[in-house]
Amino acid sequence: MATPTDSTAAAGAKPFDIVATYNELLRSDPDLTMPIAAIEALVLLLTHEPSSTISETLDLLAKSTAHLKKAIPNPIGLSAGTDLFQRYLITTLQRPGQLGPAGDFKAIRTHLLSNGRLFIRRAKESREKIVAFGRGFIRDGCTVLTNGGSRAVASLLQQAADEEGGPSAVRFKVIYVLSSISKDIEGPSGEPEGMETVRALRAKGVPVSTIPESAVAYALGKADMVIVGAEGVVENGGIVSRMGTYQIGLLAKAIGKPFYVVAESHKFVRLYPLGQYDLPIEQHVVDFKTEEDIAQKSKQQAVDSNADSPVELPLEDSVDFTPPHLISALITDSGVLTPSAVSEELIKIWF
Amino acid sequence: MTEPVDSAPTASAQDNAPAQPPSQPATENPPSQQNLPIRDAKTAKDKGPAQSDKQPAKGKDAPAPAAGTESGAAAGGDKPLTPAELKKKAKADKAARRAKEKIERDGGAGAAGGPASGAGQARPPATPRKDVAPGGAAQKGPKAPLLRRGSHGGGSAAVEQKKKKEDKSVAVFGHLYGQQRRTTVAGAGKEVHAAVLALGLQLRDYVVCGSSARCVATMLAFKRVVESYTTPLGTSLPRHLTTHLSHQITYLSTCRPLSISQGNAIRALKLAIADIDPSTPESAAKNTLCEFIDSFIREKITVADQVIAESAAQKIQDGDVIVTFAGSSIVKQTLLQAHHDGKQFRVSIIDSRPLFEGKNLARALANAGLDVQYSLVHGISHAIKDATKVFLGAHAMTSNGRLYSRVGTALVAMSAKERAGGVEVPVIVCCETVKFTDRVALDSIVVNEIADADELVSANAAQQVTGLPDPAAFTAPPIDPKKPKGGKSASSAPTPDPVSSERVPSPSPLASWKDTHNLQLLNLMYDATPAEYVDMVITELGSLPPSAVPIVHRMSTNM
Repeated sequence: MATPTDSTAAAGAKPFDIVATYNELLRSDPDLTMPIAAIEALVLLLTHEPSSTISETLDLLAKSTAHLKKAIPNPIGLSAGTDLFQRYLITTLQRPGQLGPAGDFKAIRTHLLSNGRLFIRRAKESREKIVAFGRGFIRDGCTVLTNGGSRAVASLLQQAADEEGGPSAVRFKVIYVLSSISKDIEGPSGEPEGMETVRALRAKGVPVSTIPESAVAYALGKADMVIVGAEGVVENGGIVSRMGTYQIGLLAKAIGKPFYVVAESHKFVRLYPLGQYDLPIEQHVVDFKTEEDIAQKSKQQAVDSNADSPVELPLEDSVDFTPPHLISALITDSGVLTPSAVSEELIKIWF
Repeated sequence: MTEPVDSAPTASAQDNAPAQPPSQPATENPPSQQNLPIRDAKTAKDKGPAQSDKQPAKGKDAPAPAAGTESGAAAGGDKPLTPAELKKKAKADKAARRAKEKIERDGGAGAAGGPASGAGQARPPATPRKDVAPGGAAQKGPKAPLLRRGSHGGGSAAVEQKKKKEDKSVAVFGHLYGQQRRTTVAGAGKEVHAAVLALGLQLRDYVVCGSSARCVATMLAFKRVVESYTTPLGTSLPRHLTTHLSHQITYLSTCRPLSISQGNAIRALKLAIADIDPSTPESAAKNTLCEFIDSFIREKITVADQVIAESAAQKIQDGDVIVTFAGSSIVKQTLLQAHHDGKQFRVSIIDSRPLFEGKNLARALANAGLDVQYSLVHGISHAIKDATKVFLGAHAMTSNGRLYSRVGTALVAMSAKERAGGVEVPVIVCCETVKFTDRVALDSIVVNEIADADELVSANAAQQVTGLPDPAAFTAPPIDPKKPKGGKSASSAPTPDPVSSERVPSPSPLASWKDTHNLQLLNLMYDATPAEYVDMVITELGSLPPSAVPIVHRMSTNM
């Protein structure tokens, strides 16, 4: 069994590097989310790979997915995309009809690929739907507290701001929590995540105040609601999101402010974390050290810098888990859901 | 209270019942009414008005037992009975028989001879009364039990006994005290299959215990029933087999109330029977049903358990301390699976009286090489102190996400969630979807099961080492056939050695609880854990929050 699988993997890896494609897709399009990039990478893979049977296709898909998940330090977001695509493929292949197992596989394949693209387009459109659902939450005169660099939140706020001057003028203020962890070394001038949104909002005339994470409790009294983005929405309705979201959620609960999450429904992940330390991610946020340890580590790094240690999430990319009881509602493209409704949606997709 | 009712039959009886001397002294009436026992008063209420409404013209027939027979006999002596009257008499006899049975059930042996002897003795005082009374009031149904009651000497004892028994049921749970659990196979219908007969007793004695085990055993017994079933002439299998099965089900439910899983399985089986085309040959239909039962057990229990155990075992990490309550088979499978996967963890089993289901679990896990700590439920706060996860089995999951499980489970879940000064511990429930129900449980009072309170009494006493001649300290276990299986399996509690056994074994202080005033024992079987205390339900379809139970239940039953 080892030889054929190895050869497929090798064949898949050499002419088409799924990891590189995925990273390239994410870099080229700033609007692309991780699950969508994963799906697009998989579609590209299928177009490149001449697979002739269903099981071969599924096998290739499973292998590339596993490979991709292993190579990316935080696979939660992308696994939502790959799982969804795999599920979609399987249901399409199993569905009886002109494209059923008896049909011409080439036809099935082209059908799949064209549908895969459709899938991507639809997923990209979902952000507009979210804006339509979420617009009502931002009322005249309210103050929104948000954090991170979520594109969904940014587009929601910008759309709301665009209406200013129009028939439904919404005047609102934004308190933007900026991460204190220095971020994005290769990014422009190393400014914190979210500065771009801050600038865009200010350009539209929305008063924005930026605060450090340490001022959240202090500033929450002035906010009417909290709106955050998510990297993944898990089965119990909680979210996996940028480090610091959990504490905002806890504070919002304690102070009694509603805590809304904006997320596309393709970010729903089949994952059920029981707590902060139950995520399938290797991250060392809490890292105990003594002077001796630091000295030893620097020495060790000098010796074997090229050893392949397990991919670790850098501190600035670390995530935390916000449990469902802190979330008031999730604004998604399939409607505004309570956390418990998320599992219902997920069950609908998966069974 | 019976006065207004009296008037109607009185008038009519005079017309239609010449056999009865229409006479009763008015003075006699009030005392006799005072004599009405509570239960009879109820019959009077039920039957009296109905009779006076419906049969004013034929008031002579007495629906109540003693008077019915008596009037019939009297009438027979006077003139031949018409067929209609004969029919009525037969009816009355039947009613008498039923009432007698009921008394035997209710009042115990003391009241056994009640109706027969009572009616006989009642004659002399009753007859003069009738001579004087201005109507056939004595014929009235309601009065008849009164005669029976007032006369027989053992009656008061029987009533006393009955009263005592009623005292012994805890008032809040009064609605749960149904009929006594069946103790023998005697009286079971002839339709009941031998396998089902045996299973019933096993269920009753907790030999087959646990929701899944009961479900599997029931399905296997029903497979035997189906195998040995032959369709009677003039009916079809799908139509008749269902009624045939319902005899078996009724028998099983008199042995112990059916579990949710049993109910779901039976419902599925009945659906499968109804789906059979009546024109299918019997052998083919029976094969289909047997295959259905096999695949039901395989899909819903056996394979489901494996899937659950595998996914639940993944939630166990190195260094975990797993707390579990009582002895769930699926939790056992999960822990063994995790151990097999090479996880390093400790298990802390919390157990409770009177079933001690955790003892078997503790032994099985210890034999498999796991690190096991065993404590009873009063040691919960200590056991939960260093817990990292709680795994629970389920009897059922209700539609509002509550966990319905062995009594004490809610306590464990609450202790885990409201642990003082620590991070709350995740509570994980392992449950097959066959245990999901569309019922809703708001508390553990409305729906529950009450087991024999005597189970609480018989407990193995601690072994006395010092040999002090203190009979109160040394309480040998009374040899009780009803002792639950769990208690017997308590091999850890040593049997009294011959030296100590020569001392007179004094019974448990609770042994005479039935004769002790103001003492009631409550032996509940289940409790409901609020959904907030459950973090995750692991089913064969995946992991769910408790709020998703109704959705999954709907989907798994629609499929």
